Amino acid sequence: MEPREQAFLEYVQGGGQVESGDWMPDDYRAKLIKFIEMHGNSELMGVLPEREWILRAPTLQRKLALTAKVQDEVGHAQLIYRVVEDLGKPREQCLEDLISGRAKFHNVFHYPTKTWGDVGVIAWLVDAAAIISQKALLKCSYAPYARIMKKICWEESFHILHGRDVVLTLMNGSDAQRELVQEALDRWWGPLMQFHGNPIRAEEDPMYVWRIKSQGNEDARQQFLDGYVPQIWELGLTVPDANLRKDEKTGVWHYTEPDWDELRSVVTGHGPRSQERLDFRRLARENSAWVRQTVLAEAA
Amino acid sequence: MRHLHERLLEIADDELVLGWRNSEWTGIAPFLEEDVAFSSIAQNEIGHARALYQLVARELGTTADELALDRQPGEYRCAPLVELRLVDDWAKTIARHWLYEAADWIRLAALRRGGDEDLAGLAAKIDREEAYHRMHADMWFARLRDEARFQEAVDELWPSALGVVDPELRAELAALVGRPEVPAVERDAHTDALRELWDEMTMVRRSEPAGAQW
Repeated sequence: MEPREQAFLEYVQGGGQVESGDWMPDDYRAKLIKFIEMHGNSELMGVLPEREWILRAPTLQRKLALTAKVQDEVGHAQLIYRVVEDLGKPREQCLEDLISGRAKFHNVFHYPTKTWGDVGVIAWLVDAAAIISQKALLKCSYAPYARIMKKICWEESFHILHGRDVVLTLMNGSDAQRELVQEALDRWWGPLMQFHGNPIRAEEDPMYVWRIKSQGNEDARQQFLDGYVPQIWELGLTVPDANLRKDEKTGVWHYTEPDWDELRSVVTGHGPRSQERLDFRRLARENSAWVRQTVLAEAA
Repeated sequence: MRHLHERLLEIADDELVLGWRNSEWTGIAPFLEEDVAFSSIAQNEIGHARALYQLVARELGTTADELALDRQPGEYRCAPLVELRLVDDWAKTIARHWLYEAADWIRLAALRRGGDEDLAGLAAKIDREEAYHRMHADMWFARLRDEARFQEAVDELWPSALGVVDPELRAELAALVGRPEVPAVERDAHTDALRELWDEMTMVRRSEPAGAQW
């Protein structure tokens, strides 16, 4: 490593932050783009599992809340792609790479949303898992990304409240409504346990080495379990993992090893809804290509 | 003269159904900025519908949710213009948006002139948000006005747009958008699209007996 790069590494590892105009190693820039772009893609693809249910929301209040939540996700994508744009990759290129399958998005957005129970579980627990990762990004070594994370975390915390309220209302309802939640939890537990990634040692994770991430994968998963499993139990739900327990002495949660092969397969575009969702986005983009051309011609 | 609550339900149903339709653009608009814009417009419209339903619900001894979601498709009073499923056709979506906002402006102005104080106040409040919808619609009109597909969309939807306002306001609407007054597609001519939308928008709610909490 060149001395300049070594000094940069030590700077970020010591808690230093970098602005968009500052010098940065090419490897750091490339890793930032990859990481932040995947975050933007995830916000955008995360719209699709929920948008189907915007039309089916069962009360006016739920309709407004879900529409606002999904709108927030699009707004996050817009902000995040702007950060990527500053680093040198235009939004249009990100969108092209997304629909062509070259770029990735988070595992949880490759799965179907089968019932209104899923809508509650996604907003509560998927957003809870996401906010744990995002809160850790408040300390990201790249300052522009860390700054937008404040707004994003603030909004995500409302999504969790909305999701918890949907779940709580269903759990206080009929047997069939409670069953909707339990079935959804059974479906989402596997993907949720995979969400924070395999338990690679933080020091071996290049995203941690550059302090793009400020915590290891397993730390994030432990935080999730510690924050949410007690709440899940309190509501009378069963977590579909017989081995799940907290060691009260060490404070560490034990669980059945998540299916890492499934995670790899899903994030490389082989999930149950991966291709359908990408096709949907591709088609929407083709249908509206003439609009972008018209607007850009007018702007030119 | 129709009863006041029938007139309010017409407006509320228009706003509800158009809000539901506009929310279909969430995630797939031509620009991320338009995703966000259409989502905001949809939320405003549904908020307006809720405020109007609440006024009617007080009179009828029911709730806004029951009015919005527990009636049969044939009981809705919305205009065919707002029922159409136009998602993935941006030209028609903008044509409807522009025509509807013009019609709604004229309708709200008439309510503000009317004698009912509560209603005039609510109309003024709604109009404060609608002003931004009109700015958005006008911006898109300016961008697309020379596109043949947009002009065709406006031609096609114009008779339905006239049906949004009462007959005595139609000349005013025609003058506002600069088109000749033609026979209108009236409110009682529901489209198949309404039935499909109703099936979807009430499916979760219908899965439990009336009165269930969601």
